[in-house]
Amino acid sequence: MSEFFLNLGLGLRWIGIGALPLLLLPLLTLAIPSKLARPAHWLRAKLDVISSAALGISMSLAIFMVAVQLLVIIGRYMFDWSASWANDLITYSFAGMFLLAAGSALKHDAHVRVDILREKMSAKRRATVDLAGLYLFLFPICLLIVWSSITPSFVRSWANFEGSVESDGLQLTYVFKTLVPLFGVLLTLQGLSEALRAALILRGESNTQDAPKSAAEASNGN
Amino acid sequence: MEIEVILAICMFLVAIGALLAGYPVAFTLGGVALIFAIIGISLDVMSVNDLKNLPSRIDGVMRNSVLVAVPFFVIMGVVLERSRVAEDLLGIASRLLGQIRGGLGYAVVLVGALLAASTGIVGATVITMTLIALPTMLKQGYDPKLATGIIASSGTLGQIIPPSIVLILLADAIANASAQASNSLGGRAVSISVQDLFSGALIPGLLLVGLYLCWIAFNALTKPERCPPADISDLPPLTARQVIMGLGAPLALIFAVLGSILLGITPPTEAAAIGAGGAVLLAGFRLSEGQQTRLRPLLFIGLASALLLLVLNANFELSVKLPTLTSVDKAAQLLAFVLVIGLLAGLGAGLFILRSARHLKSAFMSASHITSMVFVILIGASLFSLVFTGGFRGNEMIEGVLTAMPGGVWGALAITMLVMFVLGFFLDFIEIIFIIVPLVAPPLIVLGVDPIWLAILMALNLQTSFLTPPFGFALFYLRGAAPDSVQTLDIWRGALPFIGLQIVMIIAVAAIPALATWLPGLGAG
Repeated sequence: MSEFFLNLGLGLRWIGIGALPLLLLPLLTLAIPSKLARPAHWLRAKLDVISSAALGISMSLAIFMVAVQLLVIIGRYMFDWSASWANDLITYSFAGMFLLAAGSALKHDAHVRVDILREKMSAKRRATVDLAGLYLFLFPICLLIVWSSITPSFVRSWANFEGSVESDGLQLTYVFKTLVPLFGVLLTLQGLSEALRAALILRGESNTQDAPKSAAEASNGN
Repeated sequence: MEIEVILAICMFLVAIGALLAGYPVAFTLGGVALIFAIIGISLDVMSVNDLKNLPSRIDGVMRNSVLVAVPFFVIMGVVLERSRVAEDLLGIASRLLGQIRGGLGYAVVLVGALLAASTGIVGATVITMTLIALPTMLKQGYDPKLATGIIASSGTLGQIIPPSIVLILLADAIANASAQASNSLGGRAVSISVQDLFSGALIPGLLLVGLYLCWIAFNALTKPERCPPADISDLPPLTARQVIMGLGAPLALIFAVLGSILLGITPPTEAAAIGAGGAVLLAGFRLSEGQQTRLRPLLFIGLASALLLLVLNANFELSVKLPTLTSVDKAAQLLAFVLVIGLLAGLGAGLFILRSARHLKSAFMSASHITSMVFVILIGASLFSLVFTGGFRGNEMIEGVLTAMPGGVWGALAITMLVMFVLGFFLDFIEIIFIIVPLVAPPLIVLGVDPIWLAILMALNLQTSFLTPPFGFALFYLRGAAPDSVQTLDIWRGALPFIGLQIVMIIAVAAIPALATWLPGLGAG
């Protein structure tokens, strides 16, 4: 069984490395918009589906987390009952909730910006800032997160299906550890979608009404 | 000057400059740090291994059981907001107080202080308050200066009144700083909890509310035309039911959550989860009002179950661990199990009602996004500090500057507050907590500053910064949400008296540390 997952991991790694040139697509779109606008729109739609699915999991975890925490409280104060696995469920849900929603938050412009100057910028100017931010800041950070989280100890964790150190803990530590690289990958994918959007705006090819919201709207929406 | 020091200073300045471009703060901080890390590594002043610590930092956030309180409070806040419980609260409070001069102003201050707590983002709070309250105040004939001043100041007030998520984050940062200081002091510093900070903020926060109310009362006495009473003769009087449901229930929930934290009955995380569950029930009641739905009785069952569970717990032995229970206790235990199911059914009904009112998805989407936003900033700031502190030893530089300040502790404290005040013009509370507090708090605590007192001073200071023209965050967002008929200059002039009140409060807390430290001390003693 562990053999299968290790091979799967190896396969995913090569797929990931092989897909890295895709990050250049927004720049190519910038160069030859007439040829690439259509595939860029198509890819954006697919990537947005992934982020929305991750958001769905995150929202479910949020509801689940409240329910489990309430049961843990009742268990402890009334029935004199406690279990490490229940606390682990809360921890795992909490981590999953904020890590899996990061891509979607990028899509909905929910990550806080300093918008003193941004307020006065044109749509194209904002797209330029976004494109620069993605390539200078977001992509490198995501690559660092994925690269530094997939360590020999991470591989060992999957090889042994590492569980909790507590005997009554949740035996899913390997899944928990996988959230970190998954966070990096999801954020990269949504970043790619955002870069395509910015490139399309700069080339006047954005046919959808998805220009960045103004500061007031964005903050209000959250 | 050593090359590390130059790199550390440059990194800080470049980060500030890059932030102004308007790319999300979390990624700008992390990205600038990463670029400087590459420079540092190529100049051989730091090692790649410093960067490899990032996943373990992220892991530390994922496993932090105190920070779990943040999403619970966020859920509580968004559910109350989306189901219009918050709006009703302001509406009813202003109807009750509106007939006296300045009454609407009092209502806005009181409601703002209670509600703003759960979001923690100055911008969002001020915008919500502006949209809900400003039109009513202007229509009633309030002076725009006074009205906008009240809204901006009460929007920021929620930040330092517990239970606020920025106080939770600040508590976590100060606790780490205190532990660090404790190491260098040989274990002589105290450990800080969220509860300590909540109780420390309580007296200064309430005093500020009092000062604000006094200022409005002073206006009502000397310049009555600025805040006229409402003419509500054509409206039907409020029913007792409306007051209980719209005002009593949310207040009871907020006080129950806050009370159980302050009295040490439950840890903040558990109290926050109870708050989130209570908010779902309350939203269910609010949204199903006057509708024929089969789910509404389930809400009553849920509420009754919760109350009965408390009664059973107080009167019977329900432990599942004891092998010998009397038959009465066993029966009580069985009933308690049924009640737990009743409670869950009530919560489920609340969620279903939220869903059929089309608020479930938007509320939980906001909750996920806000939570993610907060912790992604924490991750970005961790990367920043890995490079700044781990790579370039920038913390030692800051320590050196602080200890070399003329005037000893007071000099160091003054320069810290000044820098934070200026940073408050373009960074929100959360970012400052994650970046600045870990750098300045440990040396200040080593110099002998009380951690709780320091945290409260920082909170008051930042709150003032958000109100200060021309850059204050709160004013900026208020301008965006206010109608054009309100002059920007009026907004600025309206904020000035409140800045004065803030300064009075900062001086009071600085001069009498007991205002912040007395209440937490009671719990410890």
